[in-house]
This record gives sequence, structure tokens and C-alpha cells, in this order.
Amino acid sequence: MINLDEFLEYLDSLGFSLGTGVPCSYFKDLLLAINEYDDILYVPATREDEAVGIACGFSLGGKKAFVIMQNSGFANIGDALTSLVQLYEVPLLIFISYRGLEDDDDLPEHSLMGKVTEGVLRAYKIPYWILMEHRWKAILEKALHKMTQTSLPVCLLVKNGVLCK
Amino acid sequence: MKCSEAVSQLRDVLRGDEMIVSSNGHISRVAYHFLPRPQLYLRGSMGLPMAVGLGLALAHQHKTIIVLTGDGNFLMGLGSVTTISYLSPPNLKIIILDNEAYATTGGQETVSTAIDYPSMIQGMGITAVKSTDPHEAKDKLNKLLEQTICEPGPKILHIKIGKEMIPLDYIPWHPVRICLNFKKQHNINSKTEEKNDV
Ligand SMILES: Cc1ncc(C[n+]2csc(CCOP(=O)(O)OP(=O)(O)O)c2C)c(N)n1
Ligand SMILES: [Mg+2]
Repeated sequence: MINLDEFLEYLDSLGFSLGTGVPCSYFKDLLLAINEYDDILYVPATREDEAVGIACGFSLGGKKAFVIMQNSGFANIGDALTSLVQLYEVPLLIFISYRGLEDDDDLPEHSLMGKVTEGVLRAYKIPYWILMEHRWKAILEKALHKMTQTSLPVCLLVKNGVLCK
Repeated sequence: MKCSEAVSQLRDVLRGDEMIVSSNGHISRVAYHFLPRPQLYLRGSMGLPMAVGLGLALAHQHKTIIVLTGDGNFLMGLGSVTTISYLSPPNLKIIILDNEAYATTGGQETVSTAIDYPSMIQGMGITAVKSTDPHEAKDKLNKLLEQTICEPGPKILHIKIGKEMIPLDYIPWHPVRICLNFKKQHNINSKTEEKNDV
């Protein structure tokens, strides 16, 4: 697992002061750490598209927010992406848990979404990276560079054990 | 009362530094044509005007954020009422323009007539909710708008309006231009690194 304090301090140092989303157990420890972390407010959203809307409003207000969701929840945000984030060119950092891989491809509710996740990201033209425990900062830096340069959303796919024990 | 008439009455109680988010379709066009410009006119993201307004309210705690939402948009994003209730941002004001229809797409019925808006919203934890039917009490609307906008606390005002739409030109600004104008108006630097003071 990535050192969560370092992870949050890094996001904080870049100006991220709000996180919002819907949980996945792959983010269990990250979400515990955020709630302990004073300088980042976490807003529990009722739906993933709501989280995208909140983060967008925050970002249009000139501040930085990131969004957290399961890949099942990514399937809920199509219109929020195309007709809000991408249309209005709002830079947005999205963490999506990568369910349905070898760790839990036996779970029927995840197996299909696991197979199509990267294809759907490509179809929506969202640049994405797989977040790795080693090199996480370099990967995040690359994603954030792209986000700032294009003023568009970018995504980090998070596998089991990377942001949870 | 027409949507544009209700929105014109809102204009009369504005101080001028509010941030207004309008829901997609006819309501954004009415906001563009009948309110001071620029505001944050949503052209898509049906169901999300309250979420966007909440994000703005958290980013700018010293500004008043007003969300103008149709009933169709409000009902689609109903969960946001509970999120707003949970966070209770004192600077966020929601105005529901309820014509009991998806007017923009041809006036198809929404389920609005089945709903007691004030009780539903109070049950979600937002106590400062008022409802008005300007057909019955025209002079009441102004006072309610003023209370909603000017008094502190998260507030929701539900206004029954007619289904009729006046013909209005599309908003001539591309959404990217909408954002630029909005940010300029409120001195928001896109590259700002400043922290929110939550
Ligand atoms: C996700 C999505 N579904 C459907 C539409 C089509 N659509 C555009 S405006 C609208 C009606 C919105 O209704 P309401 O918020 O009540 O506003 P009104 O048109 O009545 O002023 C619909 C269904 C859309 N833009 N996005
Ligand atoms: Mg309507």
C-alpha cells in the first residue's frame, strides 16, 4: 500500500482541498486517512455523478478537488463527463477502483465492468494511468500534468492493495 | 406566472455579487436573458445543478450561491438535497421552478404533482423551505425570494410556475466562454493554488 499520509500530503501540497465520491473497499484505508486529514474536506456523495458535479463546482470556483469511485460508479457518470466536465473544460482528477480483475473476477457483479473499464475510458477519451505502489508520485505527476495542460479530466485506476491494506 | 416572470422577480432582490447556477434547457436561457450576466449556465448535466452549486458554495463560503433548477432537474438530482442537508452550507440557496413538466423537451409531465415539496424537503433535513404559488399570491413571491437569498442558512424555495415558454435565443457563448466569463466576473484565477478555508 502507498503511504497514505505522504499521498494526502502530496495532494494537499498541490492545492487539493476537497475530495468527494462514493466508496469502494479498495479505498477503505484512504478514506479513513482523509477523514483524519485536517486540510482536505471529504464530502460523501449520494451518487458518483453528484460527486463529479460537486468537484466541478469547486473547481469552477478556482479550487482543486478530486473524485473517488468504484468502476461500477464510473458507469454512472457518462453525461456528467461529456456535458459538464469535458464540455466546460474543467480539469478533474478521478480515482477509479479497478474491480473485476484477477483478485475478484469471480464476483459476478464486477467481472463484466472489469473487462470493459479501460475500453469505456478510451471511448470517453479520458486519459488514464494505472496507479502503482512504487512510482506513484511519478504516475500522479504525469496525470496531473496532462490534466492541467488540457484542462480536462484524467483518471487513475486503482487496483487492490494500492490504497488499502 | 411564467418562468421568465419569476426569474425577473429574483433579479429585483439580487445585490449583484451572487453566483447563479442555472439548470439546462429553457431555464438557462431564461437566466441568460433575464438576469445580470455572466452566470454559470448549464447546458447539459441534467440533475446536477445542485451538486455544482454545492461545490461552488464550499469553494466560496463568503459568497451567496443561487441554484435555479427546474422540477425535472431537481427530481433527477434529489440525492443532492440530502448531501446539502448533511453539510448545511449557509450560503447555498436553491430555487425550484416547478412547472410540473419537462418543458424544454415538449412539456411532458414530470411526477411533480404527486409531491408535497416542503414536507419532502423538510424530511430530508432542510427546514428552511418555503413553497409558493404566485397564481394565488403574487405579492408574496418577492418577500419569499428576499428571505431565501438574504437570510443566512441553506434554503430552498419552491415556486409553482406555468408550463408556457417564451421563445428565446440560444445562449451564444460556448460553455468554455461561459466559464471564462464567470471566473472573470468573480476574480477567479484558474491557476489559483489558494486553499479553501473549511
Ligand atoms: C441526462 C439527460 N436526459 C434528458 C435530457 C433532455 N432534457 C433537456 S432539458 C429537459 C427537461 C428538464 O426539465 P426541468 O428541469 O423541469 O426544466 P424545464 O424544461 O421544465 O424548464 C430534458 C428532459 C438531457 N438534457 N439530459
Ligand atoms: Mg420543469
